[in-house]
Amino acid sequence: MTSIREEMWKTKGILFNFAISDLKIRYRNSVLGILWSIIEPLLLLGVLFVVFSTMFKFDIENFPIYLLLGIITWNFFKNGTSIALGSLSNRAAFISQIYFPRAIPGLSAGVTASIMLLTELVILAIFMIVLNFSPSITILYLIPIFLLEFLLILGLALPLSVLNAKYKDVEFIWGVVLQAGFFLTPIFYQFDMLPEVVRNVLQFSPMVQIVTMAHHVTLYGELPSINSILYAVFSVFIIVGIGYLIFRKLQARIVEEM
Amino acid sequence: MEEISVDVKHISKKFRLYHEKRTSVYESVLGYFSRKKHYEVLQALDDVSFDVKKGEMFGIIGKNGSGKTTLLRILSHIYQPDSGSVDVKGTIIPVLALGLGFHPELTATTNIVQSGILLGFSRKQISDKINDVIRFAELEKFADTKIKNFSSGMQMRLAFSTAIQVDPDVLILDEVFAVGDLNFQKKCFDTIMDFKKRGKSIIFVSHDMAPIRDFCDRAMFLNNGKVETIGKPSDAIAAYVDFLGRQKQS
Repeated sequence: MTSIREEMWKTKGILFNFAISDLKIRYRNSVLGILWSIIEPLLLLGVLFVVFSTMFKFDIENFPIYLLLGIITWNFFKNGTSIALGSLSNRAAFISQIYFPRAIPGLSAGVTASIMLLTELVILAIFMIVLNFSPSITILYLIPIFLLEFLLILGLALPLSVLNAKYKDVEFIWGVVLQAGFFLTPIFYQFDMLPEVVRNVLQFSPMVQIVTMAHHVTLYGELPSINSILYAVFSVFIIVGIGYLIFRKLQARIVEEM
Repeated sequence: MEEISVDVKHISKKFRLYHEKRTSVYESVLGYFSRKKHYEVLQALDDVSFDVKKGEMFGIIGKNGSGKTTLLRILSHIYQPDSGSVDVKGTIIPVLALGLGFHPELTATTNIVQSGILLGFSRKQISDKINDVIRFAELEKFADTKIKNFSSGMQMRLAFSTAIQVDPDVLILDEVFAVGDLNFQKKCFDTIMDFKKRGKSIIFVSHDMAPIRDFCDRAMFLNNGKVETIGKPSDAIAAYVDFLGRQKQS
């Protein structure tokens, strides 16, 4: 019994250590350091806000907050999966010199992204105060929504980390997926604006549901629809299941394949 | 009867030698349909068995490509053997290829902490040891320098001192002294002897026969993945030298 618990403790230490060194390496030699995780979404917010509030004139209530929340929710997903992508392949020398469970780099990418999410949520709070927006109590539902997203990130992080170590072009494929995903997720538009045919397909995307739910609980003081919850939970569990199977099959020989 | 600390039984390991390694998804899909055999099988280790006793220093010699590094990686769990079993009593720490998994972009201190945590210490335990590690490695001036700016000798010193401070039951040393200076080599051997006296085991790989002959209790000559000789260091070295001589003639 104690040995299993000790093992877990050890692993926890490694997990956080990896997450912190991920951040250190990410922001090495940068003057602004971790502030970049705040500046980057703000710049994106600025661009999208100018484009969609003046040129396309989307009529969405509280558009700056709508937009910022969407960007932050999407960034969590983007950061987690893209850090996970390189987490094993960037440590090639390391992995061939010392043993540790192969899941750790991928899982720690999720932790790194969570730390970045927390810093970004601080800006959201500041924006709400400045814009004099008071959310209703349903905003607390963001916690389970982000937990579900965290699970989704882990479910993708594990297979992406081993696949990218084996096949170098997974990185490029995933880059395209992320790019497309940004436009196919209701970040700067509302899901209802899309034609029904498109909606019928996109509703299976867990990120579509997660971002929609985040908007509902934060801006409209509503609970997410049962439909959204079912689609989101169901798709996340399928992805986690398949992801775990891929990881389990590839992980044992991954050092030799690199 | 002497206690055994590392027990290796009938280990075999094959590798695929790819003619054109498929490192992209596209190539894999294409290759799947063309059905051409695109690799050969290399028997890296073939039914290797040996044991290392407590308080023993065990040498492994052999040519490049004879399977030494593969064997060490299997002992340290990095590779999985195709068949056979490895039983290690207590903790094992490998110092392979001059490193302990150091990250080039992190400082010496951060790397000590990271390696220490990976090897099973808590942050607090390892923090207490940082100074000892740095002092032993004689790297006081470079504690906050990034590893990428270290020479190979400095990296090796850092890896060796970290491994020693962690105090494992079995220490694996792969060619570590090829890059150290003479003073540091002497210091290392003194430490290893002290380590041995406390009942710990050392597995030592070297292309330099002098330390194998002078310090090891037993040695193994590995040839093409097979165990050729296990026994007194002088016998193993003789077999190795003899083999090299025969190879030269033919």
